[in-house]
Parts: sequence; C-alpha cells; structure tokens
Amino acid sequence: MNRFCKWTAGIFGTLIVAAFAVLSYMAGSPKDAYGMVRYALPHMHRGTLRVGSDAPDARIVALDGVSRFHIRERTHERPLVLVFGSFT
Amino acid sequence: MGDIVQIYEDYRERADFLTVYVREAHPTDEWQMKSNVKDDVCYAQPKTLEQRVAIANDFTRRFKFPLPFGIDDMSNAANDAYAAWPERIYIIDESGRIAYRGGMGPFNYKPEEAREWLAARYGAVKHETPKSPPDAAPASTTGPATPAK
Repeated sequence: MNRFCKWTAGIFGTLIVAAFAVLSYMAGSPKDAYGMVRYALPHMHRGTLRVGSDAPDARIVALDGVSRFHIRERTHERPLVLVFGSFT
Repeated sequence: MGDIVQIYEDYRERADFLTVYVREAHPTDEWQMKSNVKDDVCYAQPKTLEQRVAIANDFTRRFKFPLPFGIDDMSNAANDAYAAWPERIYIIDESGRIAYRGGMGPFNYKPEEAREWLAARYGAVKHETPKSPPDAAPASTTGPATPAK
C-alpha cells in the first residue's frame, strides 16, 4: 500500500510539473503560466450561446459614464456586429 | 484592432457596430504582459465604474477608435451573458438572434470570420494591395549586381 501511494504521488507530481511546463511554453514564461492559471482561466468561459440563440440583452454604459442603453436597442433593421474587448 | 476597424469602414453602411469594453485582460495588478509595458498600456483592474469609463475613454482617444462604443457595467452583465472575456465577436441578425458566434480570444478571436459573414451577405469589399512605384528599389539590395552585357 505504501508503495502504491508513493507511485501515485510520483505520477501525480510528474503530471503537474509537465502540465506547468507545457503551460509555461504556451504562455511564454512560468510567470505568464501562473498569470494564466490564476487570472485568465477563471474568467474564460465558452458560454452557452449558439448560432440561432436569442441574443441576450444587457445594459451598457455610454462613454460619458452617465447615459445607459441596452444592446437590444441597437438591433433593428440591420445586423449588429458586437465586439467585446479591453485595452490591455 | 486594425482588422475590426477596417471591417467597420467597409460595412458600416450595411450593418451596425457596437464595441463593448469589458474587464481588463492584463492589468498591472493581475497578469500584466511585457507588451503592455512596451506599449505603455498599464492600467490596474478597475474597481469602480468611473475607473472603467476613464480607461475606455483613454482607449478611444488614443487610437481614435471610430466604432460606436459602450462599457460593461461593474456587474459584468454583458460579459457574463456573452462569455465575452477577454475578447469576442458576435453578429446579431435583424430578428435578434445570434447569426455569428466568434471564438474566445485571443487564440480564436478571428475578425476575418465576421468579415466573411458580412461578405457572404453583402458582397466582399476588396482592397487593392499597395503597389510599389516602378522606380522603387528592389526589396533586396545586398545581392550581387547583375553584370552589364
């Protein structure tokens, strides 16, 4: 049993190290791999929307910081290209 | 960013556009990238709507960003509804349904797919590739000169 536990822990540890090495390679450095795991992965979601789904509405703040409008207010006679992003 | 601006310029008479600013992807207090420092794009993750509005205004001013612009509020309602972070494109058709769903950025953020959707509907907009003037020097000037005959 003791031997089994050691092997299991060894394999598990090796897999963790290998996964971190692969992530570091993909992200560019160990620091970036940590950033990806700590800050990016919790916020990345594939979402449930599909082509054909009703577009959800949400209230949006205008650049003046005061006015508000809804995304669905912008969908009228023409398609709406909706682009999400940030500065950094 | 240039791609989506070009798409906007090409199809703004046919389709509506809206950019929604969502939570920062690489703020200084989270996962900052070297490229952000190099490009002098260094912001902490906004904790208030006023901070978010200020960064959004910095962005639109700095890049003279022409697309209509809005800001997700601090409840991140738009981000959550569209699984938008860090960047993503959708096209909503006239009936209010999702007509195109782009992939999650940065790896699957592909503005050219949105362009293809618009091109399929309204026709492609072709851009001439810039021609070099006839007397322009060849790209490589370090090779051996052709001997005169």
